[in-house]
Amino acid sequence: MSSKKKVLLKVIILGDSGVGKTSLMNQFVNKKFSNQYKATIGADFLTKEVIVDDRIVTMQIWDTAGQERFQSLGVAFYRGADCCVLVFDVTAPNTFKSLESWKDEFLIQASPRDPENFPFVILGNKVDLENRAVSAKRAQQWCQSKNDIPYFETSAKEAVNVELAFQTIARNVLAQETDAELYNEFPDQLKLTANDNGRNRDGDNCAC
Amino acid sequence: MSSSSVEEITDQSNDLFTQDGVLLKACSGRPVNELNSIGMLCIVQNSDGTKSIEWRPSDIITVCAVQEQDWALVNAIGRRQRTFSGNLTADYATARARIIRMPLNELKIFRVTNRNQQMSFSNKVGVWQSTFFFQHGNAEVFIAYLKSHVKTAKSSRDRNTYLVVEPTDETRALNRSFTELDIFQENTTDVVWNIVSNLKERPYETTMEAFSKLSSIGLDYNSGSQLLYYGNEASSKRDVSEEVADLLTKSMVAAEEAHSVTKSDEYEVISMKPTLPPRPSIPRSTPLSQEKWEGLQDTLGRVTEMDGVKQLIFRGGVAHSIRKQVWKYLLDYYPWHMTHAELKALQKKRTDEYYCMKLQWRSMTEGQESRFTEYRDRKSLVEKDVNRTDRTHPFFAGDNNPNLETLQDILMTYVMYNFDLGYVQGMSDILAPLLLLMGNEVDTFWCFVGFMERIASNFDMDQAGMKHQLLQLQQLVMFASPELAQHLALKDSGNMYFCFRWLLVWFKREFSLIDIMRLWEVLWTGLPCANFHLLICVAILEAEKEVLISGDYGFTEILKHVNELSMRIEVNKVLSSAEGIYHQIISAPHLTDQIRIILGLTPLGTSAPTEDDDAPEATGTNCKDNDAAANVSTSGTDMEEAVLEYDGIEISIVTQTVWALLA
Repeated sequence: MSSKKKVLLKVIILGDSGVGKTSLMNQFVNKKFSNQYKATIGADFLTKEVIVDDRIVTMQIWDTAGQERFQSLGVAFYRGADCCVLVFDVTAPNTFKSLESWKDEFLIQASPRDPENFPFVILGNKVDLENRAVSAKRAQQWCQSKNDIPYFETSAKEAVNVELAFQTIARNVLAQETDAELYNEFPDQLKLTANDNGRNRDGDNCAC
Repeated sequence: MSSSSVEEITDQSNDLFTQDGVLLKACSGRPVNELNSIGMLCIVQNSDGTKSIEWRPSDIITVCAVQEQDWALVNAIGRRQRTFSGNLTADYATARARIIRMPLNELKIFRVTNRNQQMSFSNKVGVWQSTFFFQHGNAEVFIAYLKSHVKTAKSSRDRNTYLVVEPTDETRALNRSFTELDIFQENTTDVVWNIVSNLKERPYETTMEAFSKLSSIGLDYNSGSQLLYYGNEASSKRDVSEEVADLLTKSMVAAEEAHSVTKSDEYEVISMKPTLPPRPSIPRSTPLSQEKWEGLQDTLGRVTEMDGVKQLIFRGGVAHSIRKQVWKYLLDYYPWHMTHAELKALQKKRTDEYYCMKLQWRSMTEGQESRFTEYRDRKSLVEKDVNRTDRTHPFFAGDNNPNLETLQDILMTYVMYNFDLGYVQGMSDILAPLLLLMGNEVDTFWCFVGFMERIASNFDMDQAGMKHQLLQLQQLVMFASPELAQHLALKDSGNMYFCFRWLLVWFKREFSLIDIMRLWEVLWTGLPCANFHLLICVAILEAEKEVLISGDYGFTEILKHVNELSMRIEVNKVLSSAEGIYHQIISAPHLTDQIRIILGLTPLGTSAPTEDDDAPEATGTNCKDNDAAANVSTSGTDMEEAVLEYDGIEISIVTQTVWALLA
């Protein structure tokens, strides 16, 4: 009897403009690719149910605008995130160089409880194109240097590794959160239950 | 009334009763510029169980909401050190300091004047410490509630003045006996206020139920000698039963007027929400036709009736056949007063200018480009966006479509025209309908410049313009649709971020290309007020209010729902409701200066304008248009006013000429 409760995973996709954030989300959720996605303005999300080790997991995938100046507004959507997917375009080295600042910016704005161990995943997208400019090795090295962030080479257009990447995201997040309650990643989301966490927080308040 | 320090005002206080639309008329010890500001008069329960009368300026309520806006955290420093855009924090502190509070146990005397619309309070006889004016309705319900918490006696000299007296042993005894009766679980006043709230839901049943309960108590405890509803004037004591009777009478008024009743932990909080007058239903008119347009130009081609033309366009838009021409005027490319010959010269000059700027970037060599990162980044961003702008429309569809190149050229030339702003996502959306209509690269560019002139602040690096507009929108929703505003606030959506896309590209993503043309040309007239585009937002949201509230939509559902409205909004319907909402707002008796300022109207008070002074101007050109519109009614001897009336509300001022054309 599978009596395990449903889980909602909130995943934020970040990366420079035009790296394929919307396309990856749509390929994963709707199994479709289009050349005609408009630039994302504001934010949107799609949800998809996946099954991970007998558990039904609803993935809520958030897509935001890529241009830097819109990020100050994106923070409203980062709250409660369980995982952050950083995307770059393997044909555009600049988008690879931006990964670092996207990661930092996310950690600053979302303020997760345990930034050191917050789950990130890196996707090098557009591997179907021929004019590749960032090698897999270079990307892998960078990911290893950042506390071994999982790295996938994807093509939203040809559905390469997209399913696998998101499945892995779900699996990793669940694995990391088996001990702790989901959503405890963020202080704001903490439910006021009489567990140890709750008591500690009360204690913390006095020190403020 | 003592002005308490910020520390005293703890967040643990609990509103027992609130009334909106209360103007601070006088307060000893407060600077003049704080007077005449609008706010909320409340009775609050403090954390220690004592109660106070509290007046809060309206802007604090707004500012509080702003404090909760996540996206206001612009400067990505530490979570707690981040500053807010502008001086909101300072405003907040200032607003907090303006709260006026008086503990109920210090209240000695109060007075009701001006047909029950004005109340003064003091903690000593002989000098009034604060005076409030109830803009909406009167103070009766407030007084009734106040009387339920303090024991009063009417002054023998002035029947409008009440002295607060200590509770007598007699009334304490009576209170106790009510409690012992155990019909009412709580104390009597709370029960009565429960009845009041129920009255709203089930007026008849509630009244009968309450009457029967109360009568039986009355009979039992007063042995039938004193009927509850006819308090014995001769009796020296004004006992609880009389209070109850009083309250019940008032409750009839309350039931009619109370619009929102929310439960707090212990008490029913009854909010007096001022209502807007009914919304006039304003029909849309037919578009400005070629015939009329030609008739409005003199022999040399000058358009002399600019205001009238704008009125016509506001009412019905522009016929597609003349859009190409009329938009050049609306977007300030062609000045209205120029003759054909002058326009021809202007066009030549602008063409030269355009190609000069275009040459600046076209002549850049590859080598130069490779050493000019900022330029290269912009170029690549433009390229990316052009390739995904309205590609489903035949005009932009297909590979190697030359119109895409034109989009790219115009946007790159705009980068040279305004390098500080450069290219920001959303601009290609703004440009596409202009090119589709104009066809001509140069004309399109200058019309684009005119449009950008109005909305440049949308693309600020720090997004201050967008934030300012979202805040203004929030204030408008709070005024025009308080229930919805309350729901949004409860659902963490008070920052109105879900309207971001609407505002950034002026609803471009929400309508088809043909509909967006209609909406934009109406908005460009700057009529009937500044920031009419915000009222469009209010109109769309108002139409979705039921869904959002009854479905108990949360943060994500609200965003999803709003995003999915795209291509499902009827442009004429929404224009008509937005205009109706405009008339509702401006004819509301409790119209505040805050709202007046947003809509470009002259504020009445002396203190109000300061808060918006430092704020960036969201739609810079609207004020100018607004003045022009106002002039129609006052200037020119040959111009006569024609006022259209719907449901008793004046909706438009049209000159004689235009009126004739309209007919």
